[in-house]
Order: sequence, then structure tokens, then C-alpha cells
Amino acid sequence: MVNAIKGVFISCDIPMAQYIINMNASVPASDKFIIHILDSTHMFVQPQVEQMIRSQIAKFREDNTYVKPN
Amino acid sequence: MPEVRIIAKNFMDMVASMPAMKLDKLYENGFICEAILRSLPPLGKKYVLQLLHIDVPVAAKLLEEWVLPDGYTKHRVAIDRLVQLRVFVEAVDRKNDKTYKLNPTFQKSLQQLLVHGGTLPREPMPSNITVRLPNLEDLEAYALQQWECFLLQLISSSLVEKPSNISSSLMKVFQRRLLSQRDKEAPKLTESGFQFLLMETNAQLWYIIREYISNSEERGVDAADLISFMLELSFHVIGEAYNINSLTDFQRSIIRDLADLGLVKLQQGRKESWFIPTKLATNLSVSLADSSSRKEGFVVVETNFRVYAYSTSRLHCEILRLFSKVEYQLPNLIVGAITKESLYNAFENGITAEQIISFLQQNAHPRVADRTPTVPENVTDQIRLWESDLNRVEMTEAYYYDEFPSRDVFEGACDTAREWNGLLWEDSKKMHMVVKTGVHTYVREYLRSQK
Repeated sequence: MVNAIKGVFISCDIPMAQYIINMNASVPASDKFIIHILDSTHMFVQPQVEQMIRSQIAKFREDNTYVKPN
Repeated sequence: MPEVRIIAKNFMDMVASMPAMKLDKLYENGFICEAILRSLPPLGKKYVLQLLHIDVPVAAKLLEEWVLPDGYTKHRVAIDRLVQLRVFVEAVDRKNDKTYKLNPTFQKSLQQLLVHGGTLPREPMPSNITVRLPNLEDLEAYALQQWECFLLQLISSSLVEKPSNISSSLMKVFQRRLLSQRDKEAPKLTESGFQFLLMETNAQLWYIIREYISNSEERGVDAADLISFMLELSFHVIGEAYNINSLTDFQRSIIRDLADLGLVKLQQGRKESWFIPTKLATNLSVSLADSSSRKEGFVVVETNFRVYAYSTSRLHCEILRLFSKVEYQLPNLIVGAITKESLYNAFENGITAEQIISFLQQNAHPRVADRTPTVPENVTDQIRLWESDLNRVEMTEAYYYDEFPSRDVFEGACDTAREWNGLLWEDSKKMHMVVKTGVHTYVREYLRSQK
């Protein structure tokens, strides 16, 4: 019988994919959210982590931004 | 990525969406027929003129023979447009072939127009009565000023010193999709509102007029009469004075609103009062792609991301504030810089990079307008890069399928998903696939039918 899992499909570039995988590895075992890693630019994760991933990526982006002190 | 939700459709799309009886009434007016004729694609114009004096239905196959084989798509586009506007009446003859005939009301009006020439129902007034007639430049400046005042008031009534006479209920109609109001907070621009501000004047004008016409039905005014009056107005001569008494009562009530928008200028002499159509009015029947009415640009963008706007208008200052950091405001110059923060702000408000870039290009100062490219490439590229940086990850709600019993079932499910445009990813070796949530029900039905 065909099995269907509900979740979120993520499509991104390779560096971002690695970042998400790293995020997954640093999270305790009960919170791991990646269900399947499909290939180097796609993966399938649990449905409720969408917002968390977005905010983590935004934080990562801001950490790497230099703002000239006024 | 937010989509452009504001589409400025021109009059013709509005006309096309009217019911058949109203359309026939509209076609009794020769000017409307002329305006519609002008708006048709070139093949459409040719077909109308060729069928103008033919009273019997013409077979569709005959029309197709007029076109070379590689022009077939243009032919189809023209025919669809003509049928949509009900200029062409489709019928089926005895041999069950499709035939076309010109709409009889349209045909009669256009024939009359060709034979007698178009005469407006009113003549310009003699110059001895119309003193103080503004010259064309003053008229254009007036129209621009009224339009800007209206736009400023649309965005925020606190920015305007002299509010126009447009009733607040009408303003609310215009603001309906552009502003969002939460109680106790000041109204804030919505995504559509931002995109609206960055559009060209013509496109903005049509959006407002379209809202005005759609709202007219609610106010008890007949949309067909309104459209016919506006199209008639667009055939008047700019700068000529026309007596207000030549308007019907209905038209007189409309003309006041149009004066507030800047489409006409009202003036009063000793005994008579008259209205003068401005460029904005005659632009009503012009197609969206026609860029002959380009007003002078005012923005210079330099390679160091600084923006210099030679303008005194508050509206321009507000628009620039949308996506750049305005640093100084001098008597005739606004100085600002495009920074990452200001752009991120704009992107969060729903403006796309393309809109910002096309705004800068369209409003380029004449000094830099001749340079190619008008806006330096490093600036445009960086704006696009910053936008794509915000969208590095794409997330879609989906279902993951595995453990298919056989390859045929897998292929069939893939095809079903592909038909509904929902197949996101598949692996034929392992027989797994990912399908969008919206399409999941269809695939599930297919799988159930396979058992």
C-alpha cells in the first residue's frame, strides 16, 4: 500500500541546504525535523518547522551583515 | 515573491465585461465606436473595416484565408477580441459553419461616423467670452498639481494642506484596496498601495477611473452613461473651453469629480462657466502601451547608490522614501541613498525589485535618460541580488509518497500529479515522489481507483 507523509518540501541552493542539515544535527533527537534528504538542493521536513527555519535563516543573514556604525 | 495584484486594465476590458444590452446602447454613440476601433489590434481593425459595408454573415473560413499561415495566432487574438467586445456577432449558418457579422448598431454608428465625420455634441466657446484661458503649459501644470494633490490625499489626508472636494465616501472607495485601516491606528498602505504608487501616471489614472466606474453602479449612476461620457471627453481638444450648459445634469455632476482629479479645469466667466479638458482626459482613450505622454523625469541614480531627485513635489518625496533613505531635502532637490535596509523595508512591504527599477528608469532625469542604461547596472543588479537573497529557500506544503506496489502505479500517480501541476519531485529508482498538498486529493483518488 502506498504510504503518504504530510510535511513541507524545501527547495533551496546547496549552501542553504547544508545550513538546514547542520541546524537539524544541532537540535536534540526529539526535535529533529528532517524526514528525508532528497538530494543536494531538496529535502522534506516536518510541517511545523517552516517558521522556525525562516527565522533562523534571517538571523544567520543578519549575523553576516555589516552595518556601518553611525 | 509577492505578485503584482494591481493590474491597470484599460477601458476596453471594462467595456468588454458589460452585459450585451448595455453594450448595444454604448455602440449607439459614434465616438465610442471610434475609440473601440482604435483600441483593437491591427488585424482586428482591418477586419472591421473590411466587413463594414457587408450586410450578410461572412464565413469564418473566408477570414482565415486572408491571413498567411504564420499569422494564425494574431488572427485568433484579433477574432477573440472582436467577439469579446461584441463587435463581431458569431452565428452558425445552415452548413453548420461559423460565420461572423458586424454588430448592427456598431456598424451603423461607424458608417455614419465615416460619412459625416465626428462632430462633438458641443463646440468650443468663442474666445471673446473665454478670457483668462490658461495656455497649454499652465493647463498641464494644473492637471499635474491636482492629480498629485489627489494622490497625496489618497495616501494620507494629513499630508495635504488644501483637501480637494471629493467626498470622503468616494475617497474611501478609492482607498479600499490601497490602504488598510485598523481601528485606532492611522491607515497604512497595503502591498497593492505601494505598487500603485510606483505605477505610471496613466496606469494610476485608469485604476482610479475603473474604481470610480465600478462604484458608480452602487451610487445609482449608470456605468454605461459614465463610460460613454468619459470616452466622449477624450475626443475633446485640450485647451479649448466648452460651455458647461451643454452638459446634461448627470454629466455636470460628474464633471466636478473629474475637476478634482485633474481631468478638466473649471472656470467661470461673467455669465457663463466652462470646462477645459486637460491631457489626463484625452489620455483616457489611449492604449496602455502608448508612451507619447511621457512627462519629464526627475531622478538621477548614480553608481555609488545615491539618488538625486530634482523635484519639489511631496508625492515624489514620499515615493522615494518607500525604497530609499532620504537624507536631505533642499528647495529643489531631494537627496537620498539606496541602502540594504531601505530596500529590505520596501521588500517587506510587498514591492518587487522590478517595480523599483522600472520606476527609476521611467522617471529618469532627461540628462541621464539618453545614457544606456539609464540606471547604472551595478545598482539594478544589486537591487535584484538583495531581493533574491531574501528568497533563498522555497517552502511548499506537500505530501511524500513511497512504497508503491508496482512501477505502473508509480508512473500513473506521477502523471496524475503532473497533470494537475502538482508534482514537485520524483525519484524513479526508489519510486518515491513529492506532491503539492492541493493536488493530494486527486492522487489519492487515482490510487484508490487502482486497487
